[in-house]
Amino acid sequence: MKSIRRCQHIISLFLVFFIAGMTILVVKIQHEAPFYMMNSDEHKLGMVYDRNGDVLFDGTLEEGDTSKYPYGHFIDVGNIIGDDKGQMSNTLVAKNIEKLNNYSFSEGLVSEGGKAAIYTTLDHKANQAVYNSFLGNDGCAVAYNYVTGEILVCTSLPSLDITQGYANIENFRSGTLLSKTLCGTVPGSTQKVSTVLSALEIMGPDVLLSKSFTCLGKYTNKSGKDIDCHELYGHGTLNLQQAVEKSCNPFFAQLIEDPDLPLNRLIKMYRKLGYAVNGEDMDYINIDGIECETASTTLTDPYDFQTQWGCIGQGDTLVSPIQLMMWQSAIANGTGKMTMPHLISKVTNVKGKISETASTKHSSRLFSEDTAHTMRQILTTNGANNYTYLIYGYDLGIKSGTAQVENGNKENSLLVGFVDDAELPIAFCVVLEDRNSTYLKPEQIVKVMLDQLSADLK
Amino acid sequence: MNNPVSYVFSCLFVLIAHGAMLANVFINGNYDNISQPVVLAAAVLLLDVAYFIIMLFFRQTSYAVDFLLILVLNMSVIFQSCFGEIKFSVKHYITAIVALAACRGGYLICRDYKWIQTKRKYIYAGVGICMVLILTLTGSRSMWISIGSSTIQPSEFMKPLFVLACATSVTEQLNKKKVLIFNVVYENLALFGLMLAICLLQWWCRDLGSLPTFMGIYISGFMLRICYPKAKLSKKTFAFAGAALLVAAIIAMRMAPDYVQQRLHSDIWNDINGDGYQQSQALIGIANGGWIGTGPGHGKLCEVFAHDNDIVFATVCEEWGLLYALMMIFVLLIMMAVPLIVPPRSYYHGTMAAGVCAAFTVQTALNIFGSCNMIPFTGVTIPFISSGGSSMLVSGFMAGMLIAAISPKLDEPPKRMKMPVQPQRPRRYPS
Repeated sequence: MKSIRRCQHIISLFLVFFIAGMTILVVKIQHEAPFYMMNSDEHKLGMVYDRNGDVLFDGTLEEGDTSKYPYGHFIDVGNIIGDDKGQMSNTLVAKNIEKLNNYSFSEGLVSEGGKAAIYTTLDHKANQAVYNSFLGNDGCAVAYNYVTGEILVCTSLPSLDITQGYANIENFRSGTLLSKTLCGTVPGSTQKVSTVLSALEIMGPDVLLSKSFTCLGKYTNKSGKDIDCHELYGHGTLNLQQAVEKSCNPFFAQLIEDPDLPLNRLIKMYRKLGYAVNGEDMDYINIDGIECETASTTLTDPYDFQTQWGCIGQGDTLVSPIQLMMWQSAIANGTGKMTMPHLISKVTNVKGKISETASTKHSSRLFSEDTAHTMRQILTTNGANNYTYLIYGYDLGIKSGTAQVENGNKENSLLVGFVDDAELPIAFCVVLEDRNSTYLKPEQIVKVMLDQLSADLK
Repeated sequence: MNNPVSYVFSCLFVLIAHGAMLANVFINGNYDNISQPVVLAAAVLLLDVAYFIIMLFFRQTSYAVDFLLILVLNMSVIFQSCFGEIKFSVKHYITAIVALAACRGGYLICRDYKWIQTKRKYIYAGVGICMVLILTLTGSRSMWISIGSSTIQPSEFMKPLFVLACATSVTEQLNKKKVLIFNVVYENLALFGLMLAICLLQWWCRDLGSLPTFMGIYISGFMLRICYPKAKLSKKTFAFAGAALLVAAIIAMRMAPDYVQQRLHSDIWNDINGDGYQQSQALIGIANGGWIGTGPGHGKLCEVFAHDNDIVFATVCEEWGLLYALMMIFVLLIMMAVPLIVPPRSYYHGTMAAGVCAAFTVQTALNIFGSCNMIPFTGVTIPFISSGGSSMLVSGFMAGMLIAAISPKLDEPPKRMKMPVQPQRPRRYPS
């Protein structure tokens, strides 16, 4: 009889493996069925709302129906919320389309009355105000709550009104179909925040704050190349606080050459901040499925022009506006950890039940609390000394930047910072393209943004 | 018959199950003409009753496999008659009858251990003939022989023969021969050679989907052979066999031809209109069906190639729902688990039952998991459910082998000589 049991054991083994496989299959089907259905010809999409219930995407809208919403209603979120037409692949709708489908494995496809929806953290009113404040100029703006990670404003120009369709797509301006907040851009002097953070971590605040370098309008570095300053006659001798406020390039070129700032440690610190250094593959920040670029730069030799130029924020250094904003959060919250941004606040299924809710997440520690504290001091001093007259009514930590693009033919203005206020914990980044073509200043956009957010949130 | 009451109740259970399915077809089915579901119902119920009667002519220890077989076969007739619209599938009905006949044939051939032992050379010859047929009569590196409008897959016929080859060779483990310092069992070498030959042939005719089935049969036979007659199936043995299998799988994956590599690494959703078409449509069909399905005849998968065999699980899921499809698989599982409840009567029968279960489970797993993108898509059939004459005939025969394993013909115990009854002496009681 024992020998027969051996046969039964073998049979049991095959059956157990099969049953285990079937169990996995059923769980997999249950989990992935909405995704499968999104690949079929039939789907019934729900809505995307902002934090106050305003519609940002309407899946029930018939193609070509422009009567339901006024023209331009969706234009400020056109390339970040997107639609289901397949022209934009890195948008909230494209990346979360199965969550929007009014389908469940038990209910099937619900043609009418489905309550599948995504509730975002965006403040549509503020977003529209910021979009309008660009006055038709190109650029982008993003702001989030650095305590909770909720993205409140995210707009990019040029944009599109998704209700108008794509019949005119060949006439769309470059950059219409993707949000510039997600893409790397030359950071200009906002890059100096990263350089100061790295130097603070490597040298310590006492050593760094005691350093001073002289600016004579330009600095000829140890390899014989000139680093120009925007101040023709130079800033004279500067300490770190003054250098940040004046955004002095020669100061930072000399800082990079300083023996107390070894290149290998600088590279290590840059990598920790999220830079892809010297041609490494760039990482992406995942914001509810949307891929956001991080940063990249070249650091080869402390005496090399490209390395110094990169640390100043020009040349081939690229950082996405969202990444710039996230570093501000690590400074503002005082922990040295970035608050991870999210766009989705909650998701409801076909029956209207909440199937997903957002939670606040943080990155690993990028720098120490001491470094965060010192940097916060430097930026808030800069804000108090230089920006209160333009962006009045707020305690700001702020850093501006001017980025040379298109081989120096154009200059973009950048402003990154945070509000030092527990009741309005906002970190932001604004990019205004081709600043010489307009009288508009990024400070004006930040002012509109903060005023609107302050009115809505406080 | 041991228990007529249980027989009658089993008959009623099968009839009620089919009746419920047919009621669903009548109520929710997609048909223009009522005659189609009526014909289907009449055919299914007629086959049920006919088989119940035929079973009475066979004396068996258990009829469990028979009842499960007729249950699943007529389920499959109903499924196959509903794909796209309700239309009685005469072809599948005939193959179901052929499967039932093959089952009886398999039972009669395999139940007598002593008889089949004497025919071992014919089993090997049968495998050889199948191989020659594949090499000579199939098209260019194909697995099908075309006869007029129909086709035959000779590799299917090798499956029961290979199971029998494994089962009948078990006792040869006792005939070990000393070759140099090794104890060699020639039959083991022959079986290993046969396995290798089958692998090469399957590779040649690009039917790698059937390879895991043969491997499954061989592994079950091998495991039972190495511990014959008394050795334990220890954890060590399992671990060793598992490791060997893993190594073999890794080598096979590395050496797999390009078209297999492509399947191993393809993303069906990125190639939804190309190589991933069948699987993606199958998964969409399952999602569309949900738990309770779109209704008999209301599915759309019928427009996809091989909806009735390679992706039949998904087609059933779409029209009848995942719940019903799982019940269908559950019936198959119970059929394979019958030897656990009614133990085989000898080591030969046990090895045979294990081989049949291995073949059925591996084949079912390959079909379902392949069509649902859990493993590479192979295109093998689900026994009794998928359409296809060769598959139905062979599956029926193997079901017969399973019945033979639990209701074998064993030697009659020697009849006792009747002792003459001693006349009892009248007892005397004390007065």
